[in-house]
Amino acid sequence: MLLALAVLWEVLVRFKVAEIQFLPAPSEIATAAQDALAGGELLGRIAHTLGVTILGWGIASTIGVALGLLLGLSPLAYRYSMTSFEVTRAIPPITFVPAALLVFGFSLKMELVLVIYGGIWPVLINTIGGVRSIAPELRDVGRMLRLSRLETIRKVVFPAALPAILVGLRLALSLCLVLAIVAEMVGNPAGIGNGLISARQALQPALMFVYVIVAGLLGVALNAGLRASARALLPGNVVKDVAAP
Amino acid sequence: MTQRLRFDSLLGLFPLVLLLGAWQLLGDPESPFFPAPSSWWPALFKLGQGDKIIPAILDTVRTFGVGLLGATVLGVALGLSIGVSRTVGRAVGPTFEFARALPPAAIVPVASLLLGFDETMKVVVVVLAALWPILLNTSSGVQELNPVLLDTARSLRLSRRRTLFGVLVPSVMPAIVLGVRVATPIALVITLLVEYLTAVNGLGALVGDAQRTFQPAKVYALIVITGVLSLVVNSLVRSVEEAVRRRRVGERR
Repeated sequence: MLLALAVLWEVLVRFKVAEIQFLPAPSEIATAAQDALAGGELLGRIAHTLGVTILGWGIASTIGVALGLLLGLSPLAYRYSMTSFEVTRAIPPITFVPAALLVFGFSLKMELVLVIYGGIWPVLINTIGGVRSIAPELRDVGRMLRLSRLETIRKVVFPAALPAILVGLRLALSLCLVLAIVAEMVGNPAGIGNGLISARQALQPALMFVYVIVAGLLGVALNAGLRASARALLPGNVVKDVAAP
Repeated sequence: MTQRLRFDSLLGLFPLVLLLGAWQLLGDPESPFFPAPSSWWPALFKLGQGDKIIPAILDTVRTFGVGLLGATVLGVALGLSIGVSRTVGRAVGPTFEFARALPPAAIVPVASLLLGFDETMKVVVVVLAALWPILLNTSSGVQELNPVLLDTARSLRLSRRRTLFGVLVPSVMPAIVLGVRVATPIALVITLLVEYLTAVNGLGALVGDAQRTFQPAKVYALIVITGVLSLVVNSLVRSVEEAVRRRRVGERR
């Protein structure tokens, strides 16, 4: 299907059946990709975007899970802060881009802060949901075995909430990639997002399409990587939700 | 009970109020980074006087609405055909897998180059981004249907049209509505993103303008506005979902 589309596209553009300004043929895109790869520029940009996405996602996941466990386990904390989180979460992370730009300038810090901020929410919400939906009997078991608080969290609560947490982690990963690219487009001049914008400004549509395709492949690869590592590290019954396509 | 719930959710606002209060006390209204909350309202007021804020909100809401509607129609149509026909599903599967993983932000420069800086381009990008949850929910809704349902339609010799609108669509309605609910925040975010990146019109363009001209108070005020807008939109969609669910419960009885 993908191949057929590419051929159709090539034919249409070649024979000028569909003449759209700035629409390159797939063969031109392939040439541009080769050039970008040969210059090393493409790989450098991929490494940057990938690095920021994964680093930001890791930090966001840690904060999200820790905060989620706290809010899920303590009714007091939940009662006194949940609405604040709900209200703040409603503000689309995109609107924080201008604020982050004002505060941090055109820097890596700004990109990272944005990625972390956006990535926290899905992890936090799913962790809270997972912890709060644990059967009360499970907690009773922990009490009966006289586990300490920390042990209860580690041996009972965390494993029971893991499927929900994993769903949050997966949502957060794709969000982090999007935010990294947005941050690169408007702020931090590096990575794929910046490559897209520079190619656009230089009126190199073929190169632009290369970056779009790379961004899509990166999304697929990150998702597949997360699925594979979840499958390798965790027992089968937990992975079901994450491994579902 | 509802009284108690309402009180509880007010209690939950405590940290936010505390944060804003501290910000107000410690913040400097002239700060280029963190202007105190009290300076946000004059900034907003100025925008209102310049007759900018209302048209911007309307532009954003229109793009969002048209985009979500387009995504729903397209997503349901594609989702139904993929769900019903295994061949179609297999043919387009990998293409969709890729298109779904494509970060919507990456589409914006391409779309604006090919389509130009206008309303059509905005809507196209929003549709492309919001399509996936609706499409996937619809197709999996069809696949999870009880096969007896379609067999019944066939044995009653219902026409294709009647099968579609009388049997298929009503029974996957909850899945469709769920998809729309997931797509709603995405559509709003992407609307703001397109506006911010291309500065065509709407709230996103206004925030971008405030940031480029270093007016932090305005930026924060607009962040509050988009937050309120998204709360309103989300609760609206949630009540639609409630209504659909209630109707279904009524049907079963």
